[in-house]
Formats: sequence, structure tokens, C-alpha cells
Amino acid sequence: MDKNYACYLCKGCGLGEALDFEALEEALEDSDISEVKDHEALCSPEGVALIQADIDGGVNAVLIGACSARVKTDEFTFGKEVLVERVPLREQGLWCSEAEYEDEEEAGEDRQMLADDYLRMHAAKLGKAEIGEPFQLEEDVEKGVMVVGGGVAGINAALAAAKAGAPVCLVEKEDALGGYLGKMAKLGPQSPPYQELQDTGLEELVAEVEAADNIKVFTGATVEKTEGAPGNFSVTLSNGESFRAGAIVQATGWNPYEAEKLADELAYGTSDKIVSNVQFEEKAKAGDLGGINGVAFIQCAGSRDENHLPYCSAVCCLVSLKQAMYVKEANPEAAVYVIYKDIRTPGQSEEVYRQAQELGVVFIRRGEDYPAISGSGPFAIETQDVTLNDTVEIEDLDMVVLATGMVPNNPSVVEPPLVALGMDQDEAAKLAEEAKAASDDWSVLNLEYRQGPNLPTLKYGYPDSHFICFPYETRRTGIYAAGAVRRPMRVTQATEDATGAALKAMQSTRAAEAGVAVHPRSGDDTFPDFFMQRCTQCKRCTEECPFGAINEDAEANPLPNPTRCRRCGVCMGACPERIISFTDYSVDMIGSMIKSIEVPDEDEEKPRVIVLACENDALPAIDLAAKNGAKWSPYVRFIPLRCLGSLNLVWIADALASGIDGILLFGCKRGDDYQCHFIKGSELANVRMSKISETLDRLVLESDRVRVEEIGFGEVDKIPGILDEFMETMEEVGPNPYKGF
Amino acid sequence: MGQAILVVGGGMSGVSAALEAAEAGYDVVLVEKNPYLGGRVAQLHQYFPKLCPPYCGLEINFKRIKSNPRIQVITMAEVTAIEGEPGAYKATVSQAPRYVNEKCTACGLCSEAVEATVPNPFNYGLDEIKAAYLPHEMAYPFRYVIDGSIVEGDQGAKAKEACPYDAVDLEDQGSETVIEAAAVVWAAGWSPYGPAKIEYYNFAANPNLISNVQMERLAAKGGPTEGKIQRPGDGAEPKNVAFIQCAGSRDVNHLPFCSTVCCLASLKQATYVREQLPGAEVTIYFIDIRAMDRNEDFYSQVKADEKINFVKSKIGLIESDGEGNLILEGEDTTSGERFKAEHDLVVLATGMQPNTDLTKIPADMVYDEYGFVQAAEGIFGAGTVRRPSEVHVSVQDGTGAALKAIQLVAGR
Amino acid sequence: MATKAYDKSFREEVYDKVDAGEEIKLCMQCGVCGITCPLRDEMTYGPRQIWSLIRAGKRDEVMNCSDIMLCTSCYTCKVRCPRGVKVIDVMHGLAHYALQEGIVPRENTSKFGKFFWNSIYKTGRIDETEVPMRYSMRRGPIHGIFETLEMMDIGRALLSHKRMHFKLGPGIPPSKKIKGIKGLKKMLDKAEAMSPGKEA
Repeated sequence: MDKNYACYLCKGCGLGEALDFEALEEALEDSDISEVKDHEALCSPEGVALIQADIDGGVNAVLIGACSARVKTDEFTFGKEVLVERVPLREQGLWCSEAEYEDEEEAGEDRQMLADDYLRMHAAKLGKAEIGEPFQLEEDVEKGVMVVGGGVAGINAALAAAKAGAPVCLVEKEDALGGYLGKMAKLGPQSPPYQELQDTGLEELVAEVEAADNIKVFTGATVEKTEGAPGNFSVTLSNGESFRAGAIVQATGWNPYEAEKLADELAYGTSDKIVSNVQFEEKAKAGDLGGINGVAFIQCAGSRDENHLPYCSAVCCLVSLKQAMYVKEANPEAAVYVIYKDIRTPGQSEEVYRQAQELGVVFIRRGEDYPAISGSGPFAIETQDVTLNDTVEIEDLDMVVLATGMVPNNPSVVEPPLVALGMDQDEAAKLAEEAKAASDDWSVLNLEYRQGPNLPTLKYGYPDSHFICFPYETRRTGIYAAGAVRRPMRVTQATEDATGAALKAMQSTRAAEAGVAVHPRSGDDTFPDFFMQRCTQCKRCTEECPFGAINEDAEANPLPNPTRCRRCGVCMGACPERIISFTDYSVDMIGSMIKSIEVPDEDEEKPRVIVLACENDALPAIDLAAKNGAKWSPYVRFIPLRCLGSLNLVWIADALASGIDGILLFGCKRGDDYQCHFIKGSELANVRMSKISETLDRLVLESDRVRVEEIGFGEVDKIPGILDEFMETMEEVGPNPYKGF
Repeated sequence: MGQAILVVGGGMSGVSAALEAAEAGYDVVLVEKNPYLGGRVAQLHQYFPKLCPPYCGLEINFKRIKSNPRIQVITMAEVTAIEGEPGAYKATVSQAPRYVNEKCTACGLCSEAVEATVPNPFNYGLDEIKAAYLPHEMAYPFRYVIDGSIVEGDQGAKAKEACPYDAVDLEDQGSETVIEAAAVVWAAGWSPYGPAKIEYYNFAANPNLISNVQMERLAAKGGPTEGKIQRPGDGAEPKNVAFIQCAGSRDVNHLPFCSTVCCLASLKQATYVREQLPGAEVTIYFIDIRAMDRNEDFYSQVKADEKINFVKSKIGLIESDGEGNLILEGEDTTSGERFKAEHDLVVLATGMQPNTDLTKIPADMVYDEYGFVQAAEGIFGAGTVRRPSEVHVSVQDGTGAALKAIQLVAGR
Repeated sequence: MATKAYDKSFREEVYDKVDAGEEIKLCMQCGVCGITCPLRDEMTYGPRQIWSLIRAGKRDEVMNCSDIMLCTSCYTCKVRCPRGVKVIDVMHGLAHYALQEGIVPRENTSKFGKFFWNSIYKTGRIDETEVPMRYSMRRGPIHGIFETLEMMDIGRALLSHKRMHFKLGPGIPPSKKIKGIKGLKKMLDKAEAMSPGKEA
């Protein structure tokens, strides 16, 4: 594009008093920006009008030297045709850089140098940025949603999407819809006053599906192959049918934890009267609960047990209460015991607990040990009774029900450890092989993805996601898990969960159509562009993409799928050839920002440190620290990155070669409880850095000059300390010997 | 805007509903009572089970809102009337005066100029804040508020005088507007159940007896103590902290339902204490520990800490020892022993009362006996007005409610 | 080794025959009742454990325990029970049932109850001087004098606060009767006849 630049400087919030605006203008002398204006309060209606008038006159690339890009966004947004680059003079210049100086003159000088640098850096970035066209699939964008799994979650997802206008293909492996809902006699109490058993409502649901003219049902079929990307998946089923889908909801439900594994602890298999809760439900549905005069339900049969399922299956308490109610309904005189560790009836379902008690169900709290079951019918149970502080025996039990838990019906994926650059490739291959062997070797979706056919999972086989804040976002764009495959949940919860997942699916087809990213960079219409002529087929981008967006051809050339892409830039950071760029974010742009920092001569004793900081967490945390009045060295310059995972090592080399004394990398928390919005970004940056010492050695530089820190909102108060300490380290290691070269 | 979706409540459920609907291509008006978005989670120090800061996710959500022209945010406002029918509602939105307009740069000069203070609602009254204030350090919108109490008089005049940007508007009368919407998502959230209502805990008389929401503020860096866990009574470092579960919840005299999150909240807060005060002992008094699904891992982890004790007992009486410590009486139901235990800081795990129990939706709606909203056509409850829930359920439910609202818009 | 076998017969007996007996089904074993009781230090088990014993079928332990006779009807437990269990109703129900069954787990309590009852039955009111006097004389006048002397401070205090009036001894002078004592007696007789276990 032909760029017509202008720079606007704000004198408000104390900037006018603190900075020399003529000097600022001079700082831009070497840039393409010749038009520089200032205003007393740029965000005021008059200030904005000043900019708008110039834009109306043809300006289309605007550099705004004022406050952080996180504030005043509405004021400084001028439509898609205008590039805007914000220079956070207030937060990163004025607010934080008033360390104590010998004299005010020097303080002013350092502050001015900082502001000058920031202006140059962002001008350099603006100079390289372009307005691009959003990515468009060659094919028409398919708006239909495939729902895999025809249980309660799947049926509801299909109905929810269809009612909002999206065509749906619903795939179920059994011959009929229903899943476990179809095996249930009744539902526990779900609606006020939370006391009565309820019908499952499956028939109505199935009738609704059948009546919907935009839902196509495939029963007795599984997914043989899923190719493509959001907006354009091609699906082949086991029955030979195929169709396109724009997005996918995986609602494959759960499997009961195998009661066979409890043979030692709970005598499962010794009698057909010792049954799992699933088997008991089948009996109830078959009307086969006659003649029970005594029954015990044993809770946490496998769940909350590190030898079986360490997690809580969340539903079993309510299932047993419901089943106890079945027994009491059939025979009010029956002795019904529930032997539990903790009764877990959240929310209004506490009333169900009360109702079961009212019916005379007796609750016995046990300890960690399983009760001992003896006899071959009638049975006796010996168990600890915590509230009697004794061991007790229960006799004359016609039946024992083991409340077994829920296992997600989803293949568990073990990911290989991230491989550091320069690591022995045989070793890396071995680790990858081990991880593969530890993963389940079956698949629900059979994705034709370079990183494997399955959704990456967390512990226990539940799909990986930010399960607190963004529970729907899996690591495969356009594919959303819903229901008990996502976490253990009850029927009502699965119904609600499915509704949300349907919306996420519809959103992703819409995003594919518009050529924009989905969460977390929703609406971002840039995408990574690969300059393929220079690709060396090193596979780093295809391996490291946290979202499996990039496939590979037989020659190991990357085959990007922009509608799968979340725009984190991890591929850009991974690429040793620096061939991956966005229109507003590239290796060159950040490199240019670094190179536009003026490095004073060694004898001025003014070191320069750059902080490459994640813009999602670290940068807002820095803003916050500044707002709170934290102060640190004016020799520090922050450069925002989309994700620390987009860090390209060449920036480190660039910085050191241009005389920068030290480099800090601020990324999110990594590991099991990672906070990185791009899952692996921070971890990848750390792996890349693990080999940086070799580079430093080669340059005969101290490895202390580069450091990675985990910085997020939890570390706001630590930021000044970290910076101070790093500046001290810089003093100890002395100036970068490459200064002035 | 006749096809817009009105979302009432800017907490986790409401923000999720608004964003998910807007990102699916629908216009949204988001109405929030507070001067900022984020609701109750904005006041949390960390989330369980990851012990991560809520602002990590909120920041992303606010970024999504800022970059999405389809969302109109109205803060300090309440919906006072809803007329019409599914597909065609007219909702009256009453906005209280903020006395600060959009010219505010958050420079803070007004706050510096004003001396008057008011109790800080963000810190649940644990401290005072200047009467010209930023609601909290990460507030979105990032704009100051002037408390109505200083508008008439010299303090208000000082604030106005201090502002170089003409952002202080003491004439602000608030406003009342009517919004046309096809569907409404009601995500008004919850309030902490008043601990003083449990008279045998003598909440008001004991400064070192606090509620769990106050504990979050004590642990938060932006809180009244800059994150130092200390006794409100004398500022001393606690050595022996107690958490009392089901303080109001699971109690037919108070909240008969289980508030779902308090067990995990106390487990989490126990880790705050242990991390900050390695010498301190913690005791959690409980009836059942309800750590559902993967939260069980967190429970196991907390249980493994030798200095965190679990006693299965509902506390029946709290009395002061006269010197700031509290004597808890209970019956250890595993041994049958009745005990008196002395603690220097006691946290009541108070529950979630749905705000729809306190203020009904101004429309014909059905509630259960606790005040939770039941399903309806056209006005959809979301989040904790439907059931007590964790953050992720609010997100899920907000997303689901958004689709139900969209079905109405799309179906027209 | 299992020392206690669950036996459903006793809990069913309690549900059926004890006034308010079914209430205990709702107990979730939180322990509040035991701690709110002003006589908690006198109790061996407290209500929660008694419910537990009933559910386990421990008839002897429950029927012979003095706890069920100790309840002073202060209502605190009933007001605070998070499950709304009418604790005092069950305690009185159990006490009554035990007496009916000929089990007297606490002789003194039952005697006090008798004097208490007699006072109401005969005069239509509780004579705050008469009842304790008769109670203290239950083992004879000598014992009674010693016991009364032990309580002298409390007696003086009660007298000075007009919570008690002076009497030389039981029936000296006789307690005043309420108006319509005959009607009250009729009502009490009828209630007695209607109480659980007496219908037949």
C-alpha cells in the first residue's frame, strides 16, 4: 500500500511537561514520517478530530505517541483502511521511569532518550506494516456443523445449531440415538422442588431431531477421516458416506470406569448381584428391581482413588441417590444404604439428598478404605462408619451397587516433550516415539493433521483447554468438545454445555468466512504468510504450532491452513529462515524495532536493555505496575510480542549485535498449570532459549545477558524487582563489547 | 438495534454471553450495575484449581470487547423494566450518574485533589477509598468515578477543578434509555450471603472473623493490605487460621442449597495462607468436602499439606476470647468429641445468594424457592442466577444463553 | 472387627412409635445440635450421635442413655439445625417412649418430671418453690435439708429477684390453683389418653 504517514503526540497526562517535543520530532527525522503534530489532550474530541481530519485528507498510517494501546481504543480506531501504531509514552515512559537521579537534568535526558527510542521503534514497525486482505478459502465456506456422538450432548448440540440456522450432520456409532440417556430409566430430580424423578425426555428429543429438516442423522457410523480445516472439513464415515462440515462438535460422551478393575477391592465379578451403577440402571430400565429388601450403594468405586480414577466423577452421588429412590419407590420397606466418602450434591441438588433421606435411605460415611463385601447373596458389608467412630457390619443385602465413575470417551494423547534446538535428533525421535506409544491408538475424528488424529488432551484424557476461563477452546480450531467428554457432568449440564459448543462451532465457520481469527485474537484478519522459496523443510513450524494448523506434504513442505490458525506467531518464532510473516507482525518488524534503539557509547555508562514481552499478560501487567507507581530504570525498552512463543532467536542476535546489553523475555506461566493463551508459547520460548547460551558463547558473551521470566498479572509487584536486579546484573557483566560495531 | 441481544450483568456469565453472541455476528448491549466489568471474579485473588489470576482471562475478554464494534457497554446501569414479548422487547435502562465523562484519561488528578473518602465497595468495606476513584486498578472501562456524596460541596468542586480534560461533570443526572432487543440474557450474578445473619457466629462483634470474599481481597495485591494476610482487628499476622464451611449454605434456615464453590474457595484460600505465612496452621471445618471432577486433584494436593487440618464438624458457636482471638465450638463427628478451638483469624465460607432472589427480573419469570431463575422463552437466565456455579460453568452457561438468544434473532 | 451390626428394626421402631421419630432421617451428621445444647457437658452422646445409634439399630444404648432425659427444651438446637430437624421433639419423644417402655434411663430426671407434672396437674401452674422443694425431698427430709442448704445462695438470689416466693416446706402454705383447674385436668387427661402408644 502507499502509505501516507502522520505522527500525533499527546501533551496530556504530564507528557507535555516531561518531554521535549521538538526533540521527539527530531527523533523521527530518519523515518518516513515528516508530518508531526501535537495536542494538549489527544484523546479529547478535539484531538481525535485533528487526526480524523488528516485521515479524511489522505493520511492512512498513523503513529500515536500517547498512552498504552490498551486504553482509549475507541478514540484511536479509525477503520480498517488506516494503520494505527500506538506508542505508550505514558505507561512505559512517563509513569515508570522516574528513578532517582543525581540531578533533574540527567533524569530528563534519560526520559527523553527513552521516549525518542519508543517513537523510533514504533515508527519502524509502522513503516514495515501493511494492510492485508483477510484470508479466503478457495472453496465456498461450509456453514454446516458435524456433531459426533448422538447422546444427550450431541443431540442437544445438533438441535441448538439447527435452530439457529446451521445445517447439521449428526453421527452416532450405535444404531439409535440416545447414548447413555437411552439406557437410563429415569433422571434424578432436575427441576423445582427437586424431589421427583423425571422422565429422560429422550423420545421427545429424538422426535425433534427427526422433525428438523436441517439435521441429517447417520447412525451406526463412525468417522473414518476428517480432512481440511474450519469452513472446509471433508468427512468420510465408516459407512462410506461423506460430506463437508464447517466446524465440529465432539460430544462422544463417556465410558463407565470398568468395574472389572475393582474385583480385588469390591468383589466385583463374584456375583451377578454385585453390579455397577450402569448395570443397575439397566435393571431399573428393564423393570427388574423387584424383591430387593436390602441394598447398599458404594460410592467412589474407583473414583477419588489414585489407583483407579484420581478425579471425582461428579455424578455418582446423584446417580446413587436416584437409584436409591428407584428402590424405595419399588419397595418402601427396603433397607437402602449409601456408603460414601463425601456426599457431593452441589447447588439445588442438595434437595435431592434431603429427599433420599426423607425416603429413609441411610447414609454411612466411610473413610479412605473400601468396605469389605462378603457372602454370595445375601451379602454382608463391613465398613468403617466415621460418624459412629466404629467399624460396622451391614447384613442381609440382596444387592450391592458399585458407583463407578466416568471416563471420557476420547483418546488420551501424550505429547512429546518440546525439543530444544540443536538437540540430538535421534533422541528427539525417541521421545516422540515414546509419547506416541503412551497415547491411545484409536481416534474419534481421525483428523488428517500432521500432529496426529486426535484432540490434544490434559491429564485423564480430557481435551486440553483453558478449562477455567475458556473451557470450550480446544487446541484444534473449529472443533469443540461438549458434554461428558469435556469433563464429568450430569445430563442437565451436558444439555447446557452442548448449546454453548454449538455456538462456538457456528462462530468458527463465520470466522472462516470472514477470514478472521477466533479466540483469543478474535477478529484478527492477519494470517501467517509463508515465503516458500526459502523453506528448508526443517519441520519446526509444523511441529511446534500449538494448534496443529500446519500440515506437511511428502517433501516436508509446510501446508498452512489459515482457518485453523490462531495467529499466535509461534511458527514465525520457530522458523530459522524467517520466512513466516503477518502483515502487521514479522521478524523483520520486531528486528527493526530493536535496531532503531539508539545505543549510547560504552563510556556514557547508559546500558540498554530490551524486554520482549507477551502482550496478553506481561504487557498489561507492566502497564498496571506503572499505574500503581512502580519505577524502574529508564534504560529498559519494552517490545510487545503476540506471544512469547513467537520469539525468533534472530532478535537476540540482532539485539546483541547492535550493542544492547541485556535481553529479558517476559512470558506467561508454563507447565501443567500453564496460563499461556496459546498453550505452548511460553514453553516454546523457554526451550528455544535453552540453547541460546551456545550462541552467546560463540559471540563470546555472558549467558547472564539473556533471561526468561514468567510474568503475568500475579507478578505485577515483582516487575520492578526483576528489572532492578537485571540492571544490577548488567552492571556486573559490564557493557556489551559489540557496542559501536 | 431491534434485533439486538440485551445482556444484563457484566460478570463472567454476562461478558461471555455478550462476547460469544457478538463474535457470532450479533449486536449486543451489555448493561452492568458496577462502574466496571468483571463482576465478582474481578475481586478474586486467584482461581482454583490453577491458582492463576482472574485478570489473565478478563484482560483477553476486555480486549475482545474493545476490538468488537458490535458490543455496546453501559456501566453503572440497571434494567428497571422489560416490556414486550420474545423477539420484541423494550427494556428501560437506568444509568446512575458517574460524574466523569468519556474524556477521562485516568490520570488520577481528581483523586489527588479530593480528601473525602468513602467505604470501598470493591474491597467489601475493608478499607476506604477517595471519593473520586478508579474502581480498581484494572478497571474496564479505565475511567474514574466520583461518589455522589461529594458532588454538592467543595470536594466535588476540587475534583472538577483538578481535571485538565473537562472530564468531571458534576451536573451528570444519569439517564434513562429504552433499548429494543429481540432477546434478553439475564446474568445478574450473586451476592455473598450475609454472614451476620448467622447470629451464633457473632460476625459483627468480631473484627477477626471475616467472610471468604473479604479473604480474597486480603490476599489480593490490589486489596486493602496490598496482599498481606493480616487480622483486620489489629493488623497482626495470623498463626492459626480457621475456615468454616457451609456458613449459611446447606442450611434450611439460611441457604438450603449447596453453594458449590465454597469448599474449593476455602482450599484455595488455605494455600494463600500457607504460601504467605509458612508457619501458620490452617484448619478447615466441614460437613462434606465437595471437590468435583479435576478439582479433586487440588483437594488431594491441599490435604497433603501437614499444616492444613480437616475437621468434620459444623461449627456451632464462635465467641471472642476478649483479646481478639476466637473460640470455635464444635463436635468432631468422627470421634464424637466436643471441642473448643482457638484461632486468631476465622474465615466464614459464606455462600452464593442469587441476585434474582434479592431483586427480581422486571418481567414475568418463574423462580425456584431459592430465587434461581427457571427456563423461559425470550429472557434467558445465565450463570449464577440459575444455580451456584464455578467460573467455567458461568462461561459455558453464558455461551449457551447467547445461542438461545441468537435462535430468537435468527429465527425472525 | 465389626463391633456394630446395622439393624433396621430399631430405626423403624423409632420412625413408627416415637413422637417426631421420623425427623432423624434428615440428619446429615454435621454436629451442630450437640454443640448448641446448654447441657452439652452433661451429655454422653448428644443428639447427633443418638441419631447415628438409632440408624445403626443400637436400641439399648439409646433407650438407656440419660441424654434423652436431659433436654431442657431451650429450642436452640431445633432453631439451628441446618436440616430443620425438630431435635427437642425427638428427644422428648424418645424420653417419653423410654418411660412408656418401662425404661428409666435417669431416675432423677424422671422424678423431677413427675413433681413438675404434678404441680401443673394439681394447680395449673409451676410453683417455682414447691417443685424444687419436693424434688430435694425425694430421698427423705434429711437429705432434702442438706440439698436445700447447698442451693441456698441460688435460692437467696432468686428470692431477691422475686423469682421465687418463701415457703416453709412443701405445701406450706399450699400453692394457689388457677381458675378452672377442673377444665385443665380434663384436657390433660384427654391429651394423655391420645398420646402415642395409648391409642389402643
